[in-house]
Amino acid sequence: MKKIFLAGNPNVGKSVLFNRLSGARATVSNYPGTTVDFTKSRMRIAGKEYEIVDLPGAFSLEPKDKAEEVARDMLKKEKPDAVVSVIDATAVERGLYLTLELIEKGYPIVVALNMSDVARDRKIKIDVRKLEEILGVPVVETVATTGSGLKELVSRIEEAKPVDVGAIKQRAGR
Amino acid sequence: MPRTSLSVDERWKLIDSISKQVVLRGKYKHTLKDVISDLSVRPMTGIPLALAVLFGFWAFFGAFAGFFTDGFAVPAFDDHFLPAIQRAFPGEGGPLYWIFVGDPGAPSCFEAFGVLTSGLFVAFGVVLPAIVAFYLVLTILEDTGYLPRLAVLVDTVFHKIGLHGFAIVPTILSLGCNVPAVAASRVLETKKQRFMMMSLLAVFIPCGAQIGVMEELLPEYVPAILAFLFFGYFVTGAVLSRLIPGRSPEILIDVPPYRSPIMKNVATKTWARVSGFIKMAVPAVLGGIVVVNLLYLLGVIDWLADALEPIFVVWFGVPAVTVGALVMAFLRKDMAVGMLGGMAAAGLLTTGELITSVVLVSIYFPCLATFIMLWKEGGVRDLLKSLAILTVSFFVFGGLMHGIVALAGV
Repeated sequence: MKKIFLAGNPNVGKSVLFNRLSGARATVSNYPGTTVDFTKSRMRIAGKEYEIVDLPGAFSLEPKDKAEEVARDMLKKEKPDAVVSVIDATAVERGLYLTLELIEKGYPIVVALNMSDVARDRKIKIDVRKLEEILGVPVVETVATTGSGLKELVSRIEEAKPVDVGAIKQRAGR
Repeated sequence: MPRTSLSVDERWKLIDSISKQVVLRGKYKHTLKDVISDLSVRPMTGIPLALAVLFGFWAFFGAFAGFFTDGFAVPAFDDHFLPAIQRAFPGEGGPLYWIFVGDPGAPSCFEAFGVLTSGLFVAFGVVLPAIVAFYLVLTILEDTGYLPRLAVLVDTVFHKIGLHGFAIVPTILSLGCNVPAVAASRVLETKKQRFMMMSLLAVFIPCGAQIGVMEELLPEYVPAILAFLFFGYFVTGAVLSRLIPGRSPEILIDVPPYRSPIMKNVATKTWARVSGFIKMAVPAVLGGIVVVNLLYLLGVIDWLADALEPIFVVWFGVPAVTVGALVMAFLRKDMAVGMLGGMAAAGLLTTGELITSVVLVSIYFPCLATFIMLWKEGGVRDLLKSLAILTVSFFVFGGLMHGIVALAGV
């Protein structure tokens, strides 16, 4: 069975997304560090069964606390077929840090720009097409709490692929 | 595929250039939420707000649990269920009768101490309403985003004991149940902090189930008992922070925006926790009574009580009968406090002795579930170290409580 991991900074909504995708009931709260262990469940996409894993929040793959350690170890131990890098759309930069680390390690990535409703309220505009073009992986705007964008996210999980960070640098013009 | 790795610096430079091309930040206007957010972390306004929130939490907990327990459970169990089962259960006075019904002459469910009497009454009549009330409020506090703000506010205090403000989150979770709180200690940065946190929680923080029973037995003394336990928590923390080698680095607390709780999430989460209690704790309460009653019938508890009597009477100032409750506390602390209540109702303990023994049950061994969690998280070595801290604290703070009760003349 193919494995999909949900990774991202603390409190960006990974567990909400996880619950939405799998129908599971992982604990969801509004503070960083609610999830300190991984949670596994199953989901079906187009008739195929997938295993889906919700990881504890992490800022980086170089762990600073035990919850981050769990995230890194799971990524290392079980080779996911796709990693959904969940980014808080109001704090894109620090979400990109983890995303780049994941890309450098060679994981196939899809980016979910979550809480895009909050970003909009705060007048933060994100050029999704441009970001997708630079990163070379699918980027989807989502609002996990309402379910908006989830269909597109699911439909594009198959497009997740490893990319070379050198190419990203070129595309970003550096 | 060729794989390039970046240095931390290169990564941030790349992010900078990506973000310049894709992110456009418009003019941001401060909203009401931002204003409340500011007010809740500024000491001048934040501290009164925190006190108000905690007081509201406490008042709701007491009112909600009291309404169901005193209003419904106590009359239903004591006036109807207890006399009926005392009459109906066959073999009065036999071992099975003692285990399931308990004392045939007991006037209340606290005193009977049988699986079907005290067990069902404490689990469903006293603890269940307390747990529902606690988790309902906790869930709302969690979902609004108030907890990290509280963490900012108490940061200075926690730094004095080598932890940081975020330690308030496992501490509050622990007031519900120590087990998930021990797991939540993972978010602390160093091994030293995690070990300290887990030990302090296991030793000093009573769980919601236990507080629920305390609230039923000694409502006017619960705030003082909790204050004493928090005093123990901070004193022991300050000592440990100096004794244990290791770092206590500063961390930045990430404060998310305030959000209105989604009712569906509040309901699911409260229900998940309450059903967890029914599945995990209720069997432990009922099974615990069977075990403790068997130990009574076999004479083990009387033997222990005789052996430990000098320590209990001289050092803690409580009669040796409380040993039975301490054996129960291995399995479930709520039922252990319930047992003490039964003893007090039967005239075996004075109020002062009841207070001291409730403190002893709180500090004493974590319940079995917490014990297993400590083992899983810290390994055998840390578990043994925690137990050493526990033993010392048990004697120091138990003796101190004895002194306070004696001086106050309760």
